[in-house]
Amino acid sequence: MKQTLNITMQRSLSATDFTNSPTLSRLSTRPLQLLLAALLLTLAFLASLAFGQLSIPLSRVITAFTHYDGSNTDHLIITTTRLARALTALTVGAALAVSGALMQALTRNPMASPSIFGVNAGALFAIVLTMTVFSISSLQNLIWVALIGAAVAGGMVYGLGSLGRDGLTPVKIVLAGAAISALFVSFTQGLLVVNQDGLDSILFWLGGSVSGRDLSLLQPLIPYGLAALVLSQLLSPHINVLLSGDEIAKSLGQRTGWLKLAMGVLIVLLAGSAVAIAGNIAFVGLIVPHMARAWVGADYRWLLPMCALLGAALLLLADLVARFLIMPQEIPIGVMTALLGTPFFIYLARRGLQNA
Amino acid sequence: MTLHTHWLTRLTLTCLCSLITCTVLASDHTRTLTHALGNTSITGTPTRIVTLYQGATDTAVALGITPVGVVDSWLEQPTYQFLREQLANVTHVGLETQPNLELIASLQPDLIIAAKMRHEKIYPQLSQIAPTISIDYVFQFKDTVQQMGTALNRQTQADELLNHWTQRVADFQQQLKTTQRNTPNTVSLLDFRPDHVRLYLQDSFAGSILTELGFTVARNQGSHNQWALKLTSRESMPSLNADVFFIFKLTDDPVTQRVYQQWTQHPLWQTLTAVQQQQVFFVDEVAWSASGGVLGANKMLDQVYQHFGLTP
Amino acid sequence: MPKFYTVRHAALSLQLNLKTLSVLALLLPCVLACVLLALSAGSQWLSPLTVLNELVADGRYAFVLETLRLPRIVMAFMVGAALAVSGLMLQSLIRNPLASPDIIGITGGASAAAVFFLSFLAGSLSVYWLPVAAIIGALLTALIIYGLAWQGGVSPVRLVLIGIGLAAGMNAITTLMIVLSPIATSMTAYVWLTGSVYGTNWQDVSRLLPWLLVLLPWAMSLARSIDAQALGDATAINLGIALQRDRLLVLFISVGLAGAAVAFAGAVSFVGLIAPHIARLLVDRRFASLAPVSALIGGTLVVLADTLGRTVFLPLDMPAGVFVAAVGAPFFIYLLYRHQQ
Repeated sequence: MKQTLNITMQRSLSATDFTNSPTLSRLSTRPLQLLLAALLLTLAFLASLAFGQLSIPLSRVITAFTHYDGSNTDHLIITTTRLARALTALTVGAALAVSGALMQALTRNPMASPSIFGVNAGALFAIVLTMTVFSISSLQNLIWVALIGAAVAGGMVYGLGSLGRDGLTPVKIVLAGAAISALFVSFTQGLLVVNQDGLDSILFWLGGSVSGRDLSLLQPLIPYGLAALVLSQLLSPHINVLLSGDEIAKSLGQRTGWLKLAMGVLIVLLAGSAVAIAGNIAFVGLIVPHMARAWVGADYRWLLPMCALLGAALLLLADLVARFLIMPQEIPIGVMTALLGTPFFIYLARRGLQNA
Repeated sequence: MTLHTHWLTRLTLTCLCSLITCTVLASDHTRTLTHALGNTSITGTPTRIVTLYQGATDTAVALGITPVGVVDSWLEQPTYQFLREQLANVTHVGLETQPNLELIASLQPDLIIAAKMRHEKIYPQLSQIAPTISIDYVFQFKDTVQQMGTALNRQTQADELLNHWTQRVADFQQQLKTTQRNTPNTVSLLDFRPDHVRLYLQDSFAGSILTELGFTVARNQGSHNQWALKLTSRESMPSLNADVFFIFKLTDDPVTQRVYQQWTQHPLWQTLTAVQQQQVFFVDEVAWSASGGVLGANKMLDQVYQHFGLTP
Repeated sequence: MPKFYTVRHAALSLQLNLKTLSVLALLLPCVLACVLLALSAGSQWLSPLTVLNELVADGRYAFVLETLRLPRIVMAFMVGAALAVSGLMLQSLIRNPLASPDIIGITGGASAAAVFFLSFLAGSLSVYWLPVAAIIGALLTALIIYGLAWQGGVSPVRLVLIGIGLAAGMNAITTLMIVLSPIATSMTAYVWLTGSVYGTNWQDVSRLLPWLLVLLPWAMSLARSIDAQALGDATAINLGIALQRDRLLVLFISVGLAGAAVAFAGAVSFVGLIAPHIARLLVDRRFASLAPVSALIGGTLVVLADTLGRTVFLPLDMPAGVFVAAVGAPFFIYLLYRHQQ
């Protein structure tokens, strides 16, 4: 039964449906679909700038960029807080979604995503450890720490999940991820109990947050993020080949080992830096690739940009809702995405088996 | 006329009664205290007491008693500076949230002062070690003084402490009214943390004292016993607005200092009343929040006097 | 000499082989030694001889030993044993060695209910109702998992995937409630989430005990069915097992054990995962052998973790869960390493 499930899930990811029969209509609508997604993202971005504790009319949002007036409070709010916040959500959302899509291809597992893989938990533990034990709390340094934590946790889950005869089955990966997450979460809780004083400072971070981040913090990461996005775009034709199976890929002359390594590095880079900036934001990497796949199909050349656009839009919208529910305080954005993602995950688990 | 006599007689009677109670208390008779977790009988004058929250430790010192066991302080660990002299050789029994029961037992106390919000679960064991009295919340400093005064046979000192406090509050209000042209009305108490800013509400220790002094402090909306708001977005700044800001002195932590800079350099900060009227003061977190006792409350009041240029 | 000893008594039919019996015979003294060590250690070290003396004839340490240390140790042992057997049952049910009550959301459900209680009800209700809230949370979560996994029958794979999904949702709700709750309760909530047997009294022990007295023998009575289920659905049905009925029973016994344990000690993690693995190193793969050995190992693990927790950082009292993770995690990694060899 597990075997059949595995095969069905792989089939839903495999590249056969577009390499063999690329229907003309689909090809021609894809740019249009990307355009639509971009429009959605733009709307979400503008909404994120306009709404909050103070509602700012759209015209004034636009004049804040075209005719900036330093004495106008609304303009000030937009440029000093909301812009940084929206850009953070945008970057983090895109990074998480793309890394989720890459993970799903790398493991041929529709349930793979940074949070399921324990990458979030690993990065978080590394951050809390350095904050409490080594009292390093500048975010610039923490990013490197988070990357190491993400890589360690991701590697452990990959290793643990591929043990045994039947290899990387979805169920094994998910269980391995849950076990490694539990491991790092209990370490993190232990550290927090030892250091009661720092608890409430870290607490909000555990829930994930995109507010209060300065643009100056985001800037050093943007080149890496962009490079990772471009690089994964460049790899996308090769990923398509990889998806048709290791054997076929090798027979077509692909160096699958190198490709997988490159994808692994990209995943850690994208997911790790997203956690370092915004804390524990779950499920974006899981949901978005599926939404994108339903829209543009499984061709990674189109899927990856779609993921970036939709991931950014989703996180912007989640952040918008998080601002309103308990004003003037805010709900951690990670809680919002988890509440959205849980039903989706369950739907996926049920559907995956119905097909089998 | 008859009514008046009646009233007088009653007053005399009450006085007599309280005199009698005083004498009874002074002797070795057993008295029963009703507190947050039940009734407790105490005989004689306890001499070996263990205090399980900061406010109780502070109050013990205020009543002239050195406890045999105390819990670690929240800041300036293990003991607040202003209590160090009196508590130089006192045993520490762990954290306020999880005091070490074996250590408490080994001190062989004859009275334990606890708080329901922290120690409800271990109350049975505590009562087996020694008579234990408990208040509801750790920051109710007047309750603490009253309960401890009765339990420790120091009713007179306790009343003195509370009377002195009431007089000081009245004096402060009087002085403020006569010296300030525009009496400040609303007050906000802020605490900058590495990733958020905390706005203390009316139900917090300092919030309740500021309210008693006649200021208006932000109130909690909704959930009970919420004593602070955690604000993460600088957009929330307008909800801090007040005539006067008291801010906890910043720690050395560079991240906290950066948060402070980010908030105070923000253009919205300049629009707040207290900032425009230059009524922003730094205060000592130990006295204003962490101590939670009558000595801390008086230290806090001293600082409030000082900030308004008044003499205590 | 017969290889198996069969105990047959109405509903209960167990096969224990000689190896299992000898392992149990060796294990029991070790467990008792650990308990004695735990009784000796504390803010004041009492020699094991003094401890034995005091337990027989009450002396000056009777209060510390019998009111403070012993109930706590007994509670730690019961919690560990219950979680270990619960984990073992889930691992057989799901046919995966990585399953455990904390991973499939049972602990998460209990945590969400407990934190809800601590944040919003603790002021008006006595703290003695906390375990009730936690058990309700665990059972409710199990019901939801079971209901969502039902598609004309429940398959183990679906059960675990939905459990993991729900666990993430429950964690989000827990985080949300900690953020919404008064700041003062977040510390209490965190200690609970780590798992601690601090402040246990005999009343707590007597409230947890009935659960174990009912559920553990019940689990043992299902031993044959659990073994058959571990062989796969088709085999189990061929062996005459009422598959769906027994699967539901196994799930709910294991939830009952984990829920009750977590209700009294908080979200202790890893015991349910690790104890069955250690047991598998010692005895054969049959439930009747694994269950008692897992229970002893799980219990001892938590007792030792709690002993460390209350002695290492004196006078501070650390939650046992921290040390369970600290001891359990390296061992878990070692197990993985061994697997790979």
